[in-house]
Amino acid sequence: MATDLDTPTQTLDAAIHSTYRIHFHGRGGSLFGIQIVNLFLSLISLGIYSFWGRVKVRRYLASQSEFAGDRFAYHGTGQELMIGWTKAMVLFGMPLFILAVLQVIVGIESDLFDALQILIYIVVGIFIPIAMVNARRYRLSRLSWHGVRFSFRGGVRDFMGIYIKGWLLTVVSLGFYYPFWQNRRQTFMVGNSFFGNRQFAFDGRGRDLFLTFVLHMILTLPTFFLCWLWYWARVQRYYAEHTSFQAARLRSTVSGGSVFALWFGNGILFILTLGLGWSWITVRNMRYYASHMTMVGTLDFAGVMQEVQTATATGEGLSGFLDLDFDLG
Amino acid sequence: MQLQWFGYYFDGQSAIRRNARIYLEPGNLRIDLDDGTMLTWPYAAIRQTQGAYAGEHVRLEHGGEPVEVLLIDDNSFLTSLHQLMPSRAGGFHNPAKRFQRFQLTIAAAGASIALVIGSYFWGIPMLATIAAPWVPVSWEEQLGQSMLEYVAPAEQRCSDPGRLAKLENLVGAMVVTQGETKYRFKIHVVNQPMFNALAAPGGHLVIFRGLLDRTENAEELAGVMAHELQHILKLHVTRSLLEYASTSFLVAAVLGDTSGIVSFGVEAAQMLAQMRFSRQHELEADEAGLQMLLAARIDPAGMIAFFEAVGKDEGQMAPALSYISTHPQTELRIARLKSLIAASAVSYQKLLPDDSWEDIKKICPAPVIPAKQ
Repeated sequence: MATDLDTPTQTLDAAIHSTYRIHFHGRGGSLFGIQIVNLFLSLISLGIYSFWGRVKVRRYLASQSEFAGDRFAYHGTGQELMIGWTKAMVLFGMPLFILAVLQVIVGIESDLFDALQILIYIVVGIFIPIAMVNARRYRLSRLSWHGVRFSFRGGVRDFMGIYIKGWLLTVVSLGFYYPFWQNRRQTFMVGNSFFGNRQFAFDGRGRDLFLTFVLHMILTLPTFFLCWLWYWARVQRYYAEHTSFQAARLRSTVSGGSVFALWFGNGILFILTLGLGWSWITVRNMRYYASHMTMVGTLDFAGVMQEVQTATATGEGLSGFLDLDFDLG
Repeated sequence: MQLQWFGYYFDGQSAIRRNARIYLEPGNLRIDLDDGTMLTWPYAAIRQTQGAYAGEHVRLEHGGEPVEVLLIDDNSFLTSLHQLMPSRAGGFHNPAKRFQRFQLTIAAAGASIALVIGSYFWGIPMLATIAAPWVPVSWEEQLGQSMLEYVAPAEQRCSDPGRLAKLENLVGAMVVTQGETKYRFKIHVVNQPMFNALAAPGGHLVIFRGLLDRTENAEELAGVMAHELQHILKLHVTRSLLEYASTSFLVAAVLGDTSGIVSFGVEAAQMLAQMRFSRQHELEADEAGLQMLLAARIDPAGMIAFFEAVGKDEGQMAPALSYISTHPQTELRIARLKSLIAASAVSYQKLLPDDSWEDIKKICPAPVIPAKQ
C-alpha cells in the first residue's frame, strides 16, 4: 500500500507525461463476507435490506479500485436505491403488470391480446434507454476520486432519439448498422461524462469497426459464435483508445483469448462452488479489467474543480419527466 | 503510543492532493498542511467511510457537500484512536474487533443457510396454505378454464349426457360428505388414450378415455376421483402457484445483488420446489381422498386395486406415463393407504348398483381401428 503512494505518478499536480495505472486490490474472501451478511439481513427483512447491501458491495469495489495510486469512493445510499427502484416500479412495473393482467383477462384468442403484447414491447422499449441514461447518471454522480465527483450530463430525450433511430436502422439494414449504432451510444455515454468540471471526450467512428463487424458476422457459424468474444475485445480496445480526458488517453489490452480464459475459469468456478464462488468471480473480473486498462498522457489535476450537479436535472416536458435519477443494477 | 500520522488531504474543491500531518488531540483531529494551514476536525463531525476491510486505507470525511477528505494509509491510526479516546471513537471502525466481526459473519452464514432451508421446507408451504383460501373463487375458475382449454379441448370431449350424469352422481356421492363447498364440480371425459386424470382449479375433473377403459368397476374410478377431488378442495393448484411465486421471491432475496445469475437460480429452485411440493400434495390428496371414500361408505379396495394396477405398469413400462412420473412411489402410497384402511371400521355400499360399469365406460365413441392392409 505505502509503495503505491510513493510511486512517481504521485506528483499529480505537476503535469508530467506518464502512464497512469489502474489496480484492483479487492479480495474474494472479504467480498464474500460482505455478501453473506447481506444475504442474512436481506432474508430477515424480506429483501428490503438488499438495497443497503448493494451499497456495501459497491462501496467495497470502489474503495478497492485504485487509479494513479489513489482509491475511488462510492457515495450512494440504500435509501436512494430503494426510492429509485420504487420510482421505476411505479412508472414501468405497474403499467407492465396491468398490461399483463389485461392479457390474461382478454385471453389468448382475442385480437386485443396481440395489441396488448405490442404495447408491452413499446413500454419495455421506452424503458431500456431511460434506464440506461438514469443508471449512468446516478452511478457516476455517486463516484469520486481525489474528493471530486464524476457526473453525467446527457439528457434522456437525446439518448432516446439515438437509441430508437439506431435500433430501427439496425433492423432495416439487417444488422449492418449495428457498429454505427453502438458507436453513437458510446459517443453519447462517454462524451457527456465529466470528472469535476472537466469533460471526457470520445472520437471513435462507426466506420472504423464496420469491416471487423462484417468479418465477425461471416465467422459466426464457422466459429460457433466464439469469434464475438474477439469482436467484443476489439471494440473495448478501440473505445478505450478513443476515450480521452484532458491530454491523456485510455489504453486497453484486453484480448479475445484472455477474456475467453477468464470466462472459462469463471464458469468452472461457478459450477464447482455451486454459485457460492460468485464473490471470487467478481474479484477476478475486476482484476482483469483493471490490469488491462491504463491511461497515457498528461493529466493536470490542479485544473479539475468540483462541480456538484443537482440530483435531478430539471427540464421541460418529456425529458424533465423522465430524468428520474434511478438505478436498478 | 503513536500520536502523529502522515496522510493526504483533499479540500473537496479541486482534485489536488495535499500532504498532511495528522495529530490525535483530546477533542479533535488536528491537520497540518504543507502550506502551513492548520485544520481542526471535532471527532463527532468526522465520518469514516473506508478502512473497515483489510487493505483499505482509512478515509475520513468532514463537512457537507463538497466534503473534505483525509486519507491515512496506516491502520494503526484507528487502533490508537480507540486506545486513547474510547469515548470519542464510537463512530470509527475498531481493527481490534475484526475477529469478532469474522465470527458474526460466520454466524450470519449459518443463520442464512438455516433460514433458506427453513423457508423451503416449512415457511413457503405454510405461507401458501394460509394465503390460498383468500384467493377468490372467480380467479380459480378463470385459471381452471384456461387449463381446461389446453388439456381438454371442447372438440375432444365425450358428451354423452346420460353416462356423464352417472359419473357426476358418483362424484356427487363423495362431495356431499365434505359439507358446504364453494365449488360446482364438473366432469370432462377426453377422448384420448392417455392413462391419466387430473383436476383443474375451480372444480373441473378431467378423465382421459385411456384411464376409464382400464377401470373394472365404479369403485376404482371413485378412488381416482377422490384423489383428484382433494386436489381441488385442498387448493393444490393455487398453493403450487403461490409456492412457485414465493420460491422466486426467496431466490431473488438470496441472490440479491448478483442479478446476472438470478434467472438461473430462480429456474433451478422452482424446478426443485415443484417436484417437492407436488409430491407433498399427492400424499395429502391420497390420504384425504381415502377419508372421503370411507365417509361416503365406498369400498376403498377399488382405489387400492387401481393403484396396484398402476404399480404393475410402473414395473413394466417406461416411466413416460405422466400419471406415474409426477406421483410418489406407488408401493409406498399403497402401504400407507392400507394401514389407514385397517384402522377404520366402515361397512361399504355398492356404487351405482343398478348400472353396468362396462356400459358407462362406453361414454366415448369407439376409437377407429385402422383396417389391416
